[in-house]
Amino acid sequence: MKTLIPNTTPSKRAQAFAGGDVESTGTSQSNPASNAAKYWQVDHSAYGEVTQEPLSKIALLAAENLLVASQTIPTVTHGDKANVDQLEAFRRSLKDEMLSLNVKLSSLAFFVKALAKALKQFPRFNSSLTPDFSSLVLKSYVHIGIAVDTDYGLVVPVIRNADKKGLVEIANEIIELSTAAREKKLKSSHFGGASITISSLGGISGTHFTPIVNPPEVAILGITKTVVEPVWNGEVFLPESKLPLDLTYDHRVINGAEAAKFLKYFCSLLDEPKRLMV
Amino acid sequence: MADVQLLVLGGGPGGYAAAFRAADLGLNVLIVEGRDTLGGVCLNEGCIPSKALLHVAKIIREAKQAEHYGVVFQPPKIDIKKLINSKDQIVGNLTGGLGGLASRRKVKVVHEKGVFIGPNTLQAGNDVFTFEHAIIAVGSRTVALANWPTHKRIWDSTRALEMPEVPENLAIVGAGIIGLEMATIYSALGSKVTLVELSKDLLPMVDKEAVKILRQQLSNFGCEFLLGTSVDQVTPSDTGVSLAFSDGHSRDYDVVISSVGRRSNADGIDCDAAGIHRNQQDIITIDDQCRTSVPNIFAIGDVTGMPMLAHRATHQGKVAAEVICGHKVQMNTSLIPSVAYTDPELAWIGLNLEEAKEQGYQPKTTSFPWLASGRNLASGGHDGLTKIVYCTESHRILGGTIIGMNAGELLAELTLAIEMCATLEDLALVVHAHPTLSETLAFAAERALGTLTDL
Repeated sequence: MKTLIPNTTPSKRAQAFAGGDVESTGTSQSNPASNAAKYWQVDHSAYGEVTQEPLSKIALLAAENLLVASQTIPTVTHGDKANVDQLEAFRRSLKDEMLSLNVKLSSLAFFVKALAKALKQFPRFNSSLTPDFSSLVLKSYVHIGIAVDTDYGLVVPVIRNADKKGLVEIANEIIELSTAAREKKLKSSHFGGASITISSLGGISGTHFTPIVNPPEVAILGITKTVVEPVWNGEVFLPESKLPLDLTYDHRVINGAEAAKFLKYFCSLLDEPKRLMV
Repeated sequence: MADVQLLVLGGGPGGYAAAFRAADLGLNVLIVEGRDTLGGVCLNEGCIPSKALLHVAKIIREAKQAEHYGVVFQPPKIDIKKLINSKDQIVGNLTGGLGGLASRRKVKVVHEKGVFIGPNTLQAGNDVFTFEHAIIAVGSRTVALANWPTHKRIWDSTRALEMPEVPENLAIVGAGIIGLEMATIYSALGSKVTLVELSKDLLPMVDKEAVKILRQQLSNFGCEFLLGTSVDQVTPSDTGVSLAFSDGHSRDYDVVISSVGRRSNADGIDCDAAGIHRNQQDIITIDDQCRTSVPNIFAIGDVTGMPMLAHRATHQGKVAAEVICGHKVQMNTSLIPSVAYTDPELAWIGLNLEEAKEQGYQPKTTSFPWLASGRNLASGGHDGLTKIVYCTESHRILGGTIIGMNAGELLAELTLAIEMCATLEDLALVVHAHPTLSETLAFAAERALGTLTDL
């Protein structure tokens, strides 16, 4: 006979016994995630040698976020390119001065600063949906999440009030946070409450990618490696340093035209860094 | 071609459920039933008539108790004939209703005793029917103690519910659920009841604390308990029955009710002719789909063993009917609720603490006493208890016992909780209406969680 204390509900037991081909008596919803498991039920060793290792806690946590994000947020990824010749020239001109102050003024610091300014200009990008998806919570503060790759997985510490901080302060904070991340010294206060996230692969490679929005944020900015491209100025091709940008956004909150304007504005800040002062 | 697609042998709560379900699924169904009516022991001489009499017992007790509230009724004049008539009328209405349900479904009923003559043939009176499938649902009968004489002053439970008289001194031999219900009825009607039980413990499978409350209340009604006692000699006469007990003393009673258990009726249908396997107690062995050793013959209810309860038979009946119709179903639970309709009611489900330990859980019990329940006290209730067995690791509900008014109704929540894999938190977080007796379930859960504010 059956065990007295069951591990599933009566209707699920009936379904399990029937193998799913008999109409169930209940209305309980089946879990698509557990139904999907069958696709992974493969004996890989039948095809050659394999080993197995468990996913890290961070990876498991991220997996949950990512699954929810990819299944529940209708996203679009919008691409654009910024001309970073002036920005890089400006950065190079400051290099010695900054080194003497023991500051490493990274391009990422400029991106954070420019993004903070863009969020002030386009407040819908600095918002979250309420849990019933009926209202938008607009944030007066600007906190920028920075995706940091570590040995143990991906973490996203947050630079608070980036709109009120100077480039040097932001540059120093990026170094502090990424060092703390690699040394596993981040605290819970370093996480949460981000307005938007930057995921930069610029130091590695790539021409574009489609980042996944980190809920409850409504957008994420992906950055890949700067390339020198020939640009036609009407008479001749001139080389320009182009920074590829990929903005994935929640289409429930942001429409395509807004996204295009937002990235255009962001590019204009990088094209002419002195605009960051205005 | 066979005469019928499905022959159901026995029209009790299991048999008619099986027959009606199969007819609803499109089968051509015949019920062969020895009685003149459908409904079996349950409807004709068990569950339903006993509840009608228990209801009367309750009215008598509550009227007496009203003295405490300053409302004084005259002592009741009991017209037994009228009482029995009204009970019979209730039974008649229900069995008549069943006949209507059968004819609406075009289920034919033959009122004859059926006996197998082969794996596809059955004799009922002078007729022989051939069938594609059969469901055996012939139930059980009361057992008589060995060496007991047959006598008009020695009743079985069927006779006791016919209520030939209300005896002044009544002995009930066998203090199981049926014996205790009889004690509840007859003590209310004025009998001085002695309960005689072979076992040292009353209802040994039930929570001791709850049984103690029941015993105390029945003692308050004047019932006397002779536990760990057997009857060595029975001497009936025209005026009464003398019982000699194992402890050496003897006493005279006006009537003795024997309620020492029930046995399968599978011995009377010639299982061997069809090749159906049964054990020495005439219990037919079945698989999870209620199939016997003969593939086209199924068995349900009391003939398939313990617990011999109508609600088990009904569920089995539906499973058997659906399997015969090609559905892939089985009896997916062993969780069968038990209720003694005594005063107070006693109901239990699932594992008790000892069973839970044996099954490898880390169990504990939590309880809420009904003397702290506003609804119980305001409604004239006495001592009562809601007790839950749970696993300390998972907080899953593993079982429970309820004693007090309407315990049988309240038990449904615990049964659902176990079936739905609920935890203490689930019970505690469900909002229960106040003031109700059902609150005691949430209170007991809260007590285990340390969140109770009502004690």
